[in-house]
Amino acid sequence: MKIFWSFARQTFQFIAAYRFDFFMEFVLAVVRMYGIYWVWRILYTQRPGAFGVTLEQMTTYGVMGMALEMFIWSRPQWYMANQIKSGAIDTDLMKPLDFHLYMLARSVGEMFIGVGVLGLPALLIAYIFLGVQFPPNVAAGLLFVLSLILGFLLLFHLNFLLGSLAVVAMDIRHISWAYFSVVRFLGGQIVPLWLFPPFVAAIAEVLPFKGTYYIPISIYIGRLTGMDAIRALGFQIVWLVVLVLLSRLLWSAAHRRLVVQGG
Amino acid sequence: MEALRLYVRLVRLSMQARLQYRADFIMGMLNIIALNAINLGLIGIIVYRFVDINGWIVWELFFLYCLWLLGHCLYSLFFWHFWEMEEYIVHGTFDQFLLRPASPFIQYMGREVQYIGFADMSVAIAGLVLAYTNLHLHWSLAQWLFFPVVVISGTLIETALTLMMACIAFWTGRSSMAINLVMEFNVLVQHYPIDIFGVWFRVLVTGIIPVAFMNYYPALMLLGKIDPQSPTAWLGYISPLVALILIAIASVVWRLALQRYSSSGG
Repeated sequence: MKIFWSFARQTFQFIAAYRFDFFMEFVLAVVRMYGIYWVWRILYTQRPGAFGVTLEQMTTYGVMGMALEMFIWSRPQWYMANQIKSGAIDTDLMKPLDFHLYMLARSVGEMFIGVGVLGLPALLIAYIFLGVQFPPNVAAGLLFVLSLILGFLLLFHLNFLLGSLAVVAMDIRHISWAYFSVVRFLGGQIVPLWLFPPFVAAIAEVLPFKGTYYIPISIYIGRLTGMDAIRALGFQIVWLVVLVLLSRLLWSAAHRRLVVQGG
Repeated sequence: MEALRLYVRLVRLSMQARLQYRADFIMGMLNIIALNAINLGLIGIIVYRFVDINGWIVWELFFLYCLWLLGHCLYSLFFWHFWEMEEYIVHGTFDQFLLRPASPFIQYMGREVQYIGFADMSVAIAGLVLAYTNLHLHWSLAQWLFFPVVVISGTLIETALTLMMACIAFWTGRSSMAINLVMEFNVLVQHYPIDIFGVWFRVLVTGIIPVAFMNYYPALMLLGKIDPQSPTAWLGYISPLVALILIAIASVVWRLALQRYSSSGG
């Protein structure tokens, strides 16, 4: 556990060196929150009945979708792809920590940076200027935090699986473009699942992606409550177990296939 | 003319290097098409529920998206690697362009042609044709002539903006985040008609980062949505002018940047 935290801290210091990038990233986040806020606001005024929630809930959903990106987004896939491409992965495999855990440690470090430098300030802007509401009660708030942590872990494992592909594909840049839009779309980052046409909703309901954005935010705005919220957390846990097993399996298969270039 | 011949030669060399990776080429194309399909799907879903966004029906929104994309695809074909300029500057490899007896700009441009632009192009053309037929548009000759001018203007606007942002790297060593910022406004303008946003946003994308001239204002004209009574009706016609002004500014910035360049050595 001590090793785990020291790797996490190391990442924290590394990223802290790029201050200008973080500032720009922050501006980007504000632009995105502002954009989606107006989209939902205009659509709501057009047809208030079509949403099943209030205007405040809807804009909160949209803005949180953008703000939470900084809370749950991790990038193990880029690190893995780079290390595999350059051959430096062999030093990672020699580290006194299981590779999968090492990647998780790095991602946790990245996440703390993202939350501290970008996420919390962005939320502050959202609360002050974009009328984002607080969860309806303490219980919903606690469930939301729990669900958000599960969302982070789910997305980490999806990204880790993508990174493992780099062993076979070498270059994951192109796949990742389509992959990101699939996560955002089926994860409900921009449009919540309850607004999907039935056919698309049926697919999105069973896939793990909705555990990333849709479930945490729906709990946050009070759309998923009581037993429904608990069931949604159960859904996240089940998929998390599946993805952890899949990640271990795929990585050990990839590890055997791994050919380190140069050296 | 000499410059053009040199450019074509350089591009041919880089294409030969790139086409060695055929699987990569196909994957890149497929993924770009998938990405656009998902984006259009999202717009489709929103409109499926709400019929229109602030008076823009689904085909008009697709038209807006694809008009932007058609201008953008020419940019990404020829100028995408502006994004990587900071790497050359940070590592000092930019020196090579200054040592040879040819325009550094032509040399840099000739580094690469980004084939993914072709995927964007096929999506854009298909989308525009579908939108044109489904909206039962009948353009006058003037509108048909205006259309390619709009597309090229869009390309030039995006190119000039990106080049200016890339030049920041000559001073700070980093520019990709600044380019991303412009891209973010681009994405919003591409996806949604700017009349749904607040006033300051509209002012920003009209007057400061004028990406709205890539699709929104000309689309008003091409879709016949322009209100001749409106005091801002003329904005639909001035995309080419905006493009020329931006190119002029960008070329000044580029010249200043080259003067400023000092190799990082090593």
